[in-house]
Amino acid sequence: MRGKSRAAAFLLASPFLLFLSILVIWPTYLGLKTALSRDLLSEFEITPAGLDNFRMVLEQPQFWEALRFTIIFALSVTVLECLLGFALALVFDRKFPGKTFLFSVTLVPIMIAPSLMAVMYRLILNQNIGVVPGFLQKFGIEISIFDERYIFWTLVTLDALQYTSFTFLLIYAALQNMPSEVYESAAIDGASPRQIIARITIPILKPAIAIIAMLRLIDSFRTFDTIYIMTGGGPGTTTQTIGIHIYKTAFITGDFGMASAMSILLVMLLTPFMPFIIRQFRLDVK
Amino acid sequence: MKQGRNLWATFVASGFGLFFLMPIFGAIYTALRTDNAIASGPFVWEFDRDWSHFKNAMGAAGYDFASFFQNSALISIGTVILTVFISLPAAYSIVRLGFGGAWLLRIALALRILPAVFFIIPFYKLFTNLGMVDSIRGLILANTFVNLTLALLIFASAIKELPYEIEEAAFVDGAGVFRTLWSIILPLMGPGLAAVGVLTFIFSWSDYLFAVVLSSSEATPVTVGAANFVTSYGVRWGDISAAVTLSILPPLIFATAAQRYLVKGLSAGAIKG
Repeated sequence: MRGKSRAAAFLLASPFLLFLSILVIWPTYLGLKTALSRDLLSEFEITPAGLDNFRMVLEQPQFWEALRFTIIFALSVTVLECLLGFALALVFDRKFPGKTFLFSVTLVPIMIAPSLMAVMYRLILNQNIGVVPGFLQKFGIEISIFDERYIFWTLVTLDALQYTSFTFLLIYAALQNMPSEVYESAAIDGASPRQIIARITIPILKPAIAIIAMLRLIDSFRTFDTIYIMTGGGPGTTTQTIGIHIYKTAFITGDFGMASAMSILLVMLLTPFMPFIIRQFRLDVK
Repeated sequence: MKQGRNLWATFVASGFGLFFLMPIFGAIYTALRTDNAIASGPFVWEFDRDWSHFKNAMGAAGYDFASFFQNSALISIGTVILTVFISLPAAYSIVRLGFGGAWLLRIALALRILPAVFFIIPFYKLFTNLGMVDSIRGLILANTFVNLTLALLIFASAIKELPYEIEEAAFVDGAGVFRTLWSIILPLMGPGLAAVGVLTFIFSWSDYLFAVVLSSSEATPVTVGAANFVTSYGVRWGDISAAVTLSILPPLIFATAAQRYLVKGLSAGAIKG
């Protein structure tokens, strides 16, 4: 390309590059530096601490507990939401009365802030005034939804209520891209609807579902808002995600060094997913 | 296919829909009832004719909720504008002028994977140094950072879909790069702009983590405000419900109006190829 055009290219991309360097490179440097320092809210002085923070994090039972909870939670919601999203996409993959309206309704959770959703969940699940416990009591079911025994599945269900819309939408979009001839020829060959789903739809959609599951897994790994507002990580620390643990370590305990070390460990944990995600996108440039 | 045959699908989809909308119905239902009815149990039907919960939420009871609402609006609109301003020229430069090649898009994608929580401590320190903690500006920057990748991907794929011949003709006619971007590309970017606009608006309106770390009172948006409501005014469920009902409206209205672009944008940003 000609020289003038190269200058223009750089000029057009410069706000982006400037932004990246201020809000990515500089913070990454700050994060690394903090992780390698003794940096407490209670002490004015910040002193170099080598790898002390990393050692302390790895020896801390709460860190492993939070990590274990996060992994189990992320896997559970991803599997559940992909199954429900796929089922719902199959339902929508045909004409039926009210489809347009119900499609809009199905997308509503995507448009609502998870934190506001969490406030509404607390309202409808409230033991004294909530509609859900009220209904359950009418049927003679007296359980505390926030009890330690049920809290995990309560949180998984609430996550599914918010994010099934997302998996549904993406799986549905992938389904719409399938060539209809495949279906037609299978139907002509006498395949039953169930056979078509098992032998044709699922195999063709597999790559798309894999990438959707991967996106959900990564996103649910950083769950913060909903659980923090619902339970604050409790009862005790039983529902503490790694994100909540990092936040609390930094802004409640006041240990920035340890919290930074944890977030770096978290990034290292997610790094293996990067090439997988990048490969899924067609990045050819004209 | 005959429509009447698939009534079961209507039932199944309605069932899902009811569950999805249950929290919203619950909030509206509570906001419309009197305090007395709310306290007496979930099935006491006594409606408040004065809309007092909504009036309280909008300032009658001395809450700051109206200013939270204004903050959310300023943050979201500011984020949309800044995001478009940064990502559209960059996408054009990358796709059509070959700037940085595919690796710039790769970096942007890699950023999408980094958890926001990784950035909260550095941002907190950086913004403290720059004097931008608890400011609208600061939250606009943080939210732009979050939304930039998706915007870049959406614009890149939208520009790729345009026929190159139009630009070529403009170049031949002596139009420069900026002129082409402004008067040829921009007018054709309607759907892309709508997709970026609606998604960025939803995501920045929804932000909680950055807001809870980077704001304390002046710049607090509705998400943090509503969550604090629950803890500080724990028993005032009627007012909380009214506040939440109002808070979910702007993105809901905007996104329902631009639903086509929401769907397109999400699928372009999430799965391509």
